[in-house]
Amino acid sequence: MGKGGQSHEENMAAWLVGINTLKIQPFKLPPLGPHDVKVRMKAVGICGSDVHFLKTLRLADFVVKEPMVIGHECAGIIEEVGSEVKNLVPGDRVALEPGISCWRCNLCKEGRYNLCDEMKFFATPPVHGSLARQVVHPADLCFKLPDNLSLEEGAMCEPLSVAVHACRRADIGPETNVLIMGAGPIGLVTILAARAFGAPRIVIVDVDEHRLSVAKDLGADGVVKVSTNMQDIPEEVEKICELMGAAVHVSFDCAGFNKTMSTALTATRAGGRVCLVGLGHNEMTVPLTPAAAREVDIIGIFRYKNTWPLCIELLRSGKIDVKPLITHRFGFSQEEVEEAFETSARGGNAIKLPFFPNYYCYDYVLKSVLVGEADPRIQNHRCSAWGYQPVGGGGARRMGRFAVQERASETVALTGPPMETDSLVFGVEEPVPGQLPPPYESIIA
Amino acid sequence: MAEVSEITGGETNLAAWLLGIQTIKIQPYHLPPLGPHDVKVRIKALGICGSDVHHFKTMRCANFIVKKPMVLGHECAGIIEEVGSQVKSLQVGDRVALEPGVSCQRCSLCRDGRYNLCREMKFSGSPPNNGSLANKVVHPANLCFKLPDNVSLEEGAMCEPLSVGIHACRRAEIGPDTNVLIIGAGPIGLVTLLAARAFGAPRIVIVDVDDCRLSMAKELGADEIVQVSTNIKDVGEEVVKIQNAMGSRIDVSFDCVGFNKTMSTALSATGVGGKVCLIGLARTELTVPLTSAAVREIDVVGIFRYRNTWPLCIELLSTGKIDVKPLITHRFQFSQKDIEDAFQTSAGGGNAIKVMFNL
Repeated sequence: MGKGGQSHEENMAAWLVGINTLKIQPFKLPPLGPHDVKVRMKAVGICGSDVHFLKTLRLADFVVKEPMVIGHECAGIIEEVGSEVKNLVPGDRVALEPGISCWRCNLCKEGRYNLCDEMKFFATPPVHGSLARQVVHPADLCFKLPDNLSLEEGAMCEPLSVAVHACRRADIGPETNVLIMGAGPIGLVTILAARAFGAPRIVIVDVDEHRLSVAKDLGADGVVKVSTNMQDIPEEVEKICELMGAAVHVSFDCAGFNKTMSTALTATRAGGRVCLVGLGHNEMTVPLTPAAAREVDIIGIFRYKNTWPLCIELLRSGKIDVKPLITHRFGFSQEEVEEAFETSARGGNAIKLPFFPNYYCYDYVLKSVLVGEADPRIQNHRCSAWGYQPVGGGGARRMGRFAVQERASETVALTGPPMETDSLVFGVEEPVPGQLPPPYESIIA
Repeated sequence: MAEVSEITGGETNLAAWLLGIQTIKIQPYHLPPLGPHDVKVRIKALGICGSDVHHFKTMRCANFIVKKPMVLGHECAGIIEEVGSQVKSLQVGDRVALEPGVSCQRCSLCRDGRYNLCREMKFSGSPPNNGSLANKVVHPANLCFKLPDNVSLEEGAMCEPLSVGIHACRRAEIGPDTNVLIIGAGPIGLVTLLAARAFGAPRIVIVDVDDCRLSMAKELGADEIVQVSTNIKDVGEEVVKIQNAMGSRIDVSFDCVGFNKTMSTALSATGVGGKVCLIGLARTELTVPLTSAAVREIDVVGIFRYRNTWPLCIELLSTGKIDVKPLITHRFQFSQKDIEDAFQTSAGGGNAIKVMFNL
């Protein structure tokens, strides 16, 4: 048994039971080991990977084969401590580091435990996550929060840790000008971390203007709006370098696409580093050789190691303020959990946790649309398709809306009123001016 | 081979000029005046590099284009014939190996010690700079390194390719803990093998498509050799073979070739947390499984030429820790016919590893 009060309430958690299906159900906790603590969860953030599991039941090689509790960015209050636990007591407010490594293999012994083969990580199948009323966790992975830090800020230590780990591996300091590709949650915490590590100048790029303005508010020295078109790289690199005003020493690709990586490799100065943080597609086609010939190194990033104490210190001292990133809040009920994931999946102005872009534009033939390589985002999204006709001057007229019905491996079937369109924009919510992908950037009517 | 000029009574300096695609001619080469910090060197040994062959065949190498006649060659050693007024460390008669690249020594990269990346670099045999396949050249004294008596001039010339291997082993942090995979058993793969061993690598596996080059690699001390194909579909199978040949974790891979297949193999075969060093500069764009490497925190380290390597190369050759002599497979003299044969031999690859001129 352990020290502290025992609760008799049934523990409940948000279970991923099928595609797009979350259910709050009982979650039986394992017994409390001598080195464990029982934590009452108070704040849990949603990560892009959580949304991806919800939409597709998989992420890279991890497949959800049976119901699994979701969520891993969390903080709470200790309720019970195991018999050998000396540094924590019931009532302590703690932030949780999700991953339990084996502590025996060579990688663990070298300190690179984030790469452990036997890693058990919250909400990476088959390990249950922490969007629950209570969880049991090793005490040494629970970090006490000082009084001036909220539990929400404690939960933010997890995404912030990715950025801190990246800044360490990339050797950020007072001499490294930083370029960040992507102003989503990871790009934004990277701004905060890079600044805390002393980076003198930070330029960030994205396709989305709203996110760029948040980035500016968070302290980026410059922002550049970029396209999704590979041909625009040389022009964009020039804009970036001009805005930086000096060499780019380190680039962080927080998106992980051919375009973002190619831009980063080209913009970074000889002898610099590009940190690949965003994990987009597996195979990438990039100008690797010219980069190698300028000794621009590529640094890989996987989660984090030994970052909680530093995150907590940076938050406590005010060197980093993560509060602006928390844009939406929900309670722990069936309805609210579903809405939370919907909001997060939508992205747009939901910064914390948007997962993928909202709009996909395709030319279509007849009534079936070739979406190419079974894009899971179309298949698993509850989305519609809006038909457009381009008009002179670079705008487009919205002709009407289809519902997306059957989804086979390469096609979707649409139903809707007859209309003449030559392009479809898929999305979860109705596109508005300024939010369409090119070439449909404005709606005339 | 130098013609004596009747007018001046001095010798006319001759060099091998690249005049057009596959066209080299021995012609006079007028040297610049000797500056106070320069030396004049009579070239005695010069090796042909893949980049020299590339210039010979195509009049270009990556973004460097040969727009006017240019003297070829940059891997060389010779004997000092004259020293500039301020030169104190060298004297006439000294046997020296030459480091080809003259950097600006003013820019921030130079001042940081990363002078190999200097944008104003003047590199012998890289257009528009003349190379050193000539009777004599003028060169900065601080880029001429004295050879001990037990190191031949041919070994002195070999310091240049060996430097690429040394620089790569430094950047990749090779040591007694790092098992090494080398992709490509051409001249660069082989000098990397020698350098990695000298740096203490415990186990070295080398792969190539050519079994003749693989057997040279085995003779040079590779622990295991694996023959691979040029078919990218074979990567999965080959990675397993390579990992079995290593027997334990691959810590560092050197891609001395630089194709999609070789880089993909390196990224897949290297153990979690390891490094892949891209030395071979074959293609511009590569399509590789970069993300799955990044999630295993495999870093890609770029290599461009070398910096501050000559003293170490000379030391390793002098003490016998490295023996480069087996790599010199063909020798030619400095005549019109021999030069043409030499370049054809080098371009032919196969069992021609290092083609060396003796002048």
